[in-house]
Amino acid sequence: MKQSPVFLPLVAACCLSPVFAQDKSQETPQDAPPPRSRPLASTAQAIDVAAGDSDNIVNIDVSMLFPDYREPWNAGTPSGGSGTGFMIGKNRFLTNAHVVSNATRIVIRTTNDPAPHPARIVHIAHDCDLAIVEAINGTDFEKLETFQLGDIPKLNTEVSVIGYPIGGERISVTRGVVSRIDFRPYSHTGVDSHLAIQIDAAINPGNSGGPVLQNGMVVGVAFQGYNGRVAQNVGYMIPTPVIKRFLKDIEDGHYDHYVDLAISDFTIENPAQLKALKLTNDGIGVIVADVEPAGSVGTLLKSSDVLLSVDDSPVYNNGLVRVDGELMDMNEVVERKFAGDTVNIKYQRDGEKKEATVTLKRFAPYLTLGEQYNQRPRYVMHAGLVFQPMDKNLMDAHQIRDGTVNYWFDNFLTQKLYKERPEVVILTNVLPDDVNSYLQRSFPAIVDEINGVKIKALADVQEALKKPGDNPDFIVIKLLEKGRPLVLKRSLAAEAQQRIMKNYNIEEDSYLGNE
Amino acid sequence: MKAFRFLITVGGLACVPFTSGQEPEKGLPVQPSPIDKSRAPASALTLEKAVLATAPTVRSDSLLKVNVTYQSYSPHLPWQKLSPGARLGLGVVLDKNRVLVTGQMVADATYIELELPESGQKIPAKVVGVDYEANLALLEAAYSGERSKIFFSDLKPMQIESKAHVGDNLSIWQTGRVGELIVTLLHVSKVMTSAYVLPGSNFLVYEGQGIVRTEGNSFTLPVIKGGKLAGLLLRYDSKNQVTTVLPGIIIEHFLKDMADRKNEGFPSLGIEVQPTMDEQFREYLGLKPSQGGMYVSGVSKGGTAAALGVEKKDILLNINGFKIDSRGDYEDPEFGRLSMSHIVRGRAYVGEKVKMVVLRNGKEVTLEGKLTRKNPKDNIVWPYLFDRGPNYVVEGGLVFQELTKPYLQAFGEDANGTVLRLSHLAEHPEEYEKQGRKKFVFLSAVLPTPATQGYERIGGLLVKSVNGKMINDLSDLDKAFQEGKDGLDVVEFEDMPKKIYLDAASVDRENTALLKGAYRIGSLKRIE
Repeated sequence: MKQSPVFLPLVAACCLSPVFAQDKSQETPQDAPPPRSRPLASTAQAIDVAAGDSDNIVNIDVSMLFPDYREPWNAGTPSGGSGTGFMIGKNRFLTNAHVVSNATRIVIRTTNDPAPHPARIVHIAHDCDLAIVEAINGTDFEKLETFQLGDIPKLNTEVSVIGYPIGGERISVTRGVVSRIDFRPYSHTGVDSHLAIQIDAAINPGNSGGPVLQNGMVVGVAFQGYNGRVAQNVGYMIPTPVIKRFLKDIEDGHYDHYVDLAISDFTIENPAQLKALKLTNDGIGVIVADVEPAGSVGTLLKSSDVLLSVDDSPVYNNGLVRVDGELMDMNEVVERKFAGDTVNIKYQRDGEKKEATVTLKRFAPYLTLGEQYNQRPRYVMHAGLVFQPMDKNLMDAHQIRDGTVNYWFDNFLTQKLYKERPEVVILTNVLPDDVNSYLQRSFPAIVDEINGVKIKALADVQEALKKPGDNPDFIVIKLLEKGRPLVLKRSLAAEAQQRIMKNYNIEEDSYLGNE
Repeated sequence: MKAFRFLITVGGLACVPFTSGQEPEKGLPVQPSPIDKSRAPASALTLEKAVLATAPTVRSDSLLKVNVTYQSYSPHLPWQKLSPGARLGLGVVLDKNRVLVTGQMVADATYIELELPESGQKIPAKVVGVDYEANLALLEAAYSGERSKIFFSDLKPMQIESKAHVGDNLSIWQTGRVGELIVTLLHVSKVMTSAYVLPGSNFLVYEGQGIVRTEGNSFTLPVIKGGKLAGLLLRYDSKNQVTTVLPGIIIEHFLKDMADRKNEGFPSLGIEVQPTMDEQFREYLGLKPSQGGMYVSGVSKGGTAAALGVEKKDILLNINGFKIDSRGDYEDPEFGRLSMSHIVRGRAYVGEKVKMVVLRNGKEVTLEGKLTRKNPKDNIVWPYLFDRGPNYVVEGGLVFQELTKPYLQAFGEDANGTVLRLSHLAEHPEEYEKQGRKKFVFLSAVLPTPATQGYERIGGLLVKSVNGKMINDLSDLDKAFQEGKDGLDVVEFEDMPKKIYLDAASVDRENTALLKGAYRIGSLKRIE
């Protein structure tokens, strides 16, 4: 279960993680599926599995390794799960990123075909929870019909969800209506928000990555919902604007991620704000509360500016814009663009109207606060001292309770701490040995300096340890807001390194991610 | 609710809810107790002897029941108080009809009464002096006169015993339902320093093993040695059966301090030190094995050490002739190995000379000066607030406060967001102290009014300026709000959303409305 970070302080949003591995050995063998000849599942139409109606909706069986951030030199914990995927091109299956995250082996199966088809990831986009997988030998899937993408469905229209959720082995269909269209956090990373459509068709673990259909067209990918104890019949699908953006982004062969204005807005509701900011009472304009210096408009906007329009869409006092006739978060305008695209911004500063065109780029520091996948944990171990970069995975794994570390994580963006230290390095553990026996209560702590070198990234640790400091016989490690420096005699530390690696079964003394 | 560690962790007797009847013996007549009567008839001789042998009717003419009703202020709506509660303890009669209890006992007291254990007779009392850091308080009758004279007529002052050692047998005294003495032996197994009630206030304690029974009035209990007061029960850990005693030497110090009526409290050095047992660290620092010493990792602004010129990275070798070892202990002539904090806290008084020897750049430097105690008011964050409410200012519905430790403690351990930010400020205020801030003024709440429309969801934000004036404490803010321009008040925060604007006329209007309104605000500010 994951806590949704901003909007649901009391309500737990539950990502439909593919946690239920399914045993497929009992399936009845059948001939290879014939090509399908009619569009599937207009809302009133029966689905004939035997006739191959559902062959282009596949079960994706995944073996995975959950990385071990506590013992970062270890392989991790093996696990497995399954989700759903569907064909959107020749031997191209769309699914959720969370279905295939951290995968070591992927196998595609269909209800009609006994054979497992080993598969691999072609593209994966964690920020919008989408991925493309392909069968390694795709010949069986080449003749199958592919799904077409529709538009945003209207409220209160019927949709069907198809997939391989818990409760049985074979394909399952549930049905409901479109309940709400809104900008929502995506639980996979916990820090990304995009357009999401709420439907009341049952969505259960295993449905993840499956198509939501209306009139034979795909109108969304089922991806998350609430734990049944929190809310009933609230499931979410990724709508087609997000899917189309993903597909367009990967056309050039690689995924470039979302771009962001990286600003926070503050609603104008108080008449004193209008007067102070010299605004007319026409409902247009939202206050820029905070600007990320590393973001797309970091050098353009300042806090207390008033944002008036984004690409000619007026921004209303509550931060919303009208897109395709609907009021949506102003980010939606930027959401549909790509790295390197431009956006026109009209704003007012000290009563004066201004305009600028900015080139959009990705805002990377926010990744630190979100869950990350398909990453081997990075570390440096020296004389039993374990250094790791601060991120959400690390904070969760170590359950860190330290005033300074928690403050830095919590305020990494809000206090712009990333400017000082793009990558915060934490001393997460001290593996007991003769050389460090007085240092065993010094973690967790943020590493400030090693031998006089300010630590701004994990790689700095490796370099700084080799440098002679004020006294070449010693390694001096300054921890942020901690009482005294950690001091190791260089000769003793070097002597201890092999012994500690042997005793604690550590193959490599570091992994910096440059494999 | 104030995060307040209560003395006795067992059975909830330490803190009896106000409504549950704090005086179970109320209905008893003032006359010899039923037990005495039952013994009067000639029963079997053997039984009589057995009763006498195991439970002689011992009373103390120096003990009083002390019943306190307390009420603290709400950290969130600081103009009002929280629900009252009661603490029932024992007090020890000292000379001049004064009664000694722990400081905790009378914290935030609204009504204090003294009760004779046997007769149940009561008189109201008042606090003569209190030291919350040393956790001690002196009481006397609220009104002098005949009633008080009669009340104290049969009571005798108890003397203080300032010495006790490991291996000594002390006894904890409690009174039963009708004043009979209940004695529990306490074998002293440790003499050490430990925090009292307020964090960071390390003083001498005795520790002993043994079970302390729960009786009424167990909040504060006297600990006796040879008929004299050797200490007061500080806390009892029922799980591990560890008893911690506030010792006589600290009580003596407190009484001496009270005697001159200056009430200067206990001195402190105001430094943070680290042990140097680590050989590699010692070699790096250039310390000889025989040298001992503690590494100075922090010097607090306005403290004794800062005034003496102690610096970070100094190695503290000696205080007042006592050699400090690498663990931070010294050899006390009375109590043996003790933490160095006792040299200052227990053995010395405010205003006395202090001499420290530090190792700086390989050379011994002697520093001399006078011992001081930092007034809690002079801290950028109020360390505690007893017997008074937090400072606040209400403007149009915005509630501003000065940051206090009790405010932060009200959020518990797992603080995040703005509370975590404020906690971090409280722990590391150096940069802000340099800027000249005397207090951290922050927006603690927004009461929804027409003037605060749109601001209901912000809070916990550190105030930077109001109407362009830097805010160093609440009186700055109070003044700055009178200096708005063009009918607008501008509040600038250190944090998002950085600036908010208020209509000055609307603020005035809402201030008037708030005084009589739903939030029952009696006064728009408290700046003390």
